[in-house]
Amino acid sequence: MSVRLDGNLIILEGICRVEDAEPLLGWLQADRGRIVDLAGVEHLHAAVLQVLMALRPTIRGMPEDAFLRDWIIPAAIGEGRPERES
Amino acid sequence: MDDLLQHFIVEAHELIQQATDDLLALERSPHASAPMDSAFRAIHTLKGSVGLFDFAPMGIALHAAEDLLGALKEKQGGIDSHAIDSLLACIGQAERWVAVIEQTGQLPLDAAEEGYRLARSLRSQLDEDAARPADAISQSDLAWIEELQAQCPDPAALKMQDRPLVAIRYTPHADCFFAGDDPVALLRSVPDLLTVRLSARDSWPPVAEIAPFACNLRIEALSGAGLDRVKTVFRFVPDQAILHEVPRLAPERATETMLDNGSTGIATDSAGGAGARMLRVEASRIDRLADLVGEMVIAKNALAHLAGQLGNGLDPKHVSQGLLASQAAIERLVAELHGAVMDVRMMPMRDIFRRFPKAVRDLAGQLDRAVDFSMEGEEVEADKAVVEGLFDPLLHILRNAVGHGAEPETLRLEAGKPAKTRIVLRAYRDGDRVKVEVEDDGRGIDPAAIRETARKRGIASAEDLDRMSDADVIDMIFAPGFSMASEVTDLSGRGVGMDVVRSAVERLGGQANVRSQLGHGTTIHLSLPMTIVMTKVMAVRLGGELYGIPIDGVLETAFVPASRIIPIRDAEAFVWRDKTLPLVRLADLLEIQPSTEPPQRLKVVVMTAGDELVGVVVDGFAERMDILMRPMSGLLAGMPGVMGTTLLGDGNVLMILNIPELIG
Repeated sequence: MSVRLDGNLIILEGICRVEDAEPLLGWLQADRGRIVDLAGVEHLHAAVLQVLMALRPTIRGMPEDAFLRDWIIPAAIGEGRPERES
Repeated sequence: MDDLLQHFIVEAHELIQQATDDLLALERSPHASAPMDSAFRAIHTLKGSVGLFDFAPMGIALHAAEDLLGALKEKQGGIDSHAIDSLLACIGQAERWVAVIEQTGQLPLDAAEEGYRLARSLRSQLDEDAARPADAISQSDLAWIEELQAQCPDPAALKMQDRPLVAIRYTPHADCFFAGDDPVALLRSVPDLLTVRLSARDSWPPVAEIAPFACNLRIEALSGAGLDRVKTVFRFVPDQAILHEVPRLAPERATETMLDNGSTGIATDSAGGAGARMLRVEASRIDRLADLVGEMVIAKNALAHLAGQLGNGLDPKHVSQGLLASQAAIERLVAELHGAVMDVRMMPMRDIFRRFPKAVRDLAGQLDRAVDFSMEGEEVEADKAVVEGLFDPLLHILRNAVGHGAEPETLRLEAGKPAKTRIVLRAYRDGDRVKVEVEDDGRGIDPAAIRETARKRGIASAEDLDRMSDADVIDMIFAPGFSMASEVTDLSGRGVGMDVVRSAVERLGGQANVRSQLGHGTTIHLSLPMTIVMTKVMAVRLGGELYGIPIDGVLETAFVPASRIIPIRDAEAFVWRDKTLPLVRLADLLEIQPSTEPPQRLKVVVMTAGDELVGVVVDGFAERMDILMRPMSGLLAGMPGVMGTTLLGDGNVLMILNIPELIG
């Protein structure tokens, strides 16, 4: 599983596949205040991405992957740029 | 060919058939909702299956068909014949494509063009608002490209481009995840991205109603990589992506290019599987087979038990009783197993009948005849080989019924008939035979015209023709070289005559007959065996050998005193029921030394050979039996006079003779 729940934090890691969309959606639906950590993400499947776009949770961390970092995350999250973890 | 593709082909045939049936039903009652739903489902499912393979043009065409049907379904305004025609054209093309896929494993090269043409024609029937945005886009609607350019995080990069930019608007299908697409991964492979914009295709539903697996994304992007390279990325989703070439910062001169999926077919290994035939069987029939095999195993175990007892020196009388009981049980099981296997091979006429309504409709349309076509007895079952073998002959007969039988409406009304020519395709069981008829109430066959044609083509002499009854004359439509068409049409231009129909039916072990009344219509009647696998034969003895003769042709066995044989030149004849029949000796036919002493009474099998009766002298009559005839194969395939062989209980081979061929 490339998605897991740790307290109030939803951690996405590695290559997130289509089947990760459902638990992610479920956890966010259950508690809109949960924070999503993207720091370890290598790829986001479109299904996972659109859950993030639709529910707009607070995002923490930025993937290393250049494509995600430069294009996908900014385009999906828009103005609310995630704060980089120091 | 891989398994998945094979299943696809079988399923595609069924779905295409289903959709065709439903569309034809809709044509009759345009407001019926059941066939509308069913057609929609069939096309939707087919489109889904197509998506599993690299058959994009087919998917595009079917998608358009699905959208059109969906829109019509929603409007509940019924369906007009124009829409039915385009939908049938699309389904017809899909059917041809599946046939090509079956042969080669991929779509033909011109499929892309054809797919777009079909899709365009279908979409042109959709209302403005129902049309998908991808198609509605026009030159004036390119504002999004300007916005994209404005959004570019690094405007300098745009200016630095010396090549034209490519603007991408990719709107994945809602069900694209199920097809295994990941639009983000696709975007990742677009080279030289300059801007990316993500949005929702439709505004996001309330949080509780979000469907995680329905794609609702719209992806817009600019790439500096050149149209061809971007095109390659989207080659598998050409209908979902629109690419515009934007001459640098001059969007008003943008040109639209829809992706062309030309020849990106992945060659599937088509060796091997192409010729394999598939049989769809109800699960219950297989279950029955499995049960019987289970019982068979038990019966076999009983034998082992008996053998053990015999080894232990038990009373042989007791063991032989056990053996007999065991043999009886096995015999019963074998008979049941055979029945069950035959059952598996049985298929209903429906499987071929259902393809006819569309064929008849197409023909009637081509020839501008009004036809009221109906079918009866689709549920009648026969052996797979019989049912499948009937398709071509029946198609030809139906073609004749429409092409030659049906009169123009005006003539029919003058003759006091209903305006539409009634054509009925009917199947029914008659004992152990299956009868199939095609009946029309058209103009009928004119014996005078047949006589005229037969004379002209030299099929029969004038004297013969004058002597023949009208029924015999009409039967000549089955004669080789006879074709009724006075004008060459699309139908008769195929070089298939009724003689081919008759020979095809006879190959299946059947007969073809015709009844016709001038001005009232024609009925072509086919009589076929229900199974062709089981043959009833009569065994006859000659010298020390047994031979089989198919019992179909045998009328009677008779004892003829030698004194009643009449020599006629170098041949012989005898009188049987007040008829003089030629007499042939099987020993002569097979060129075997006849038995030394001619008996006082000859044993004669009276049978048909062609249209004549003939007596065949044998040494003895043996039992009748049902056999599984194996056709001659390999080197023996061409051996004249032998239809096939079967194994006898004692392990000997029984040859089944084709007496008419031996007499030749």
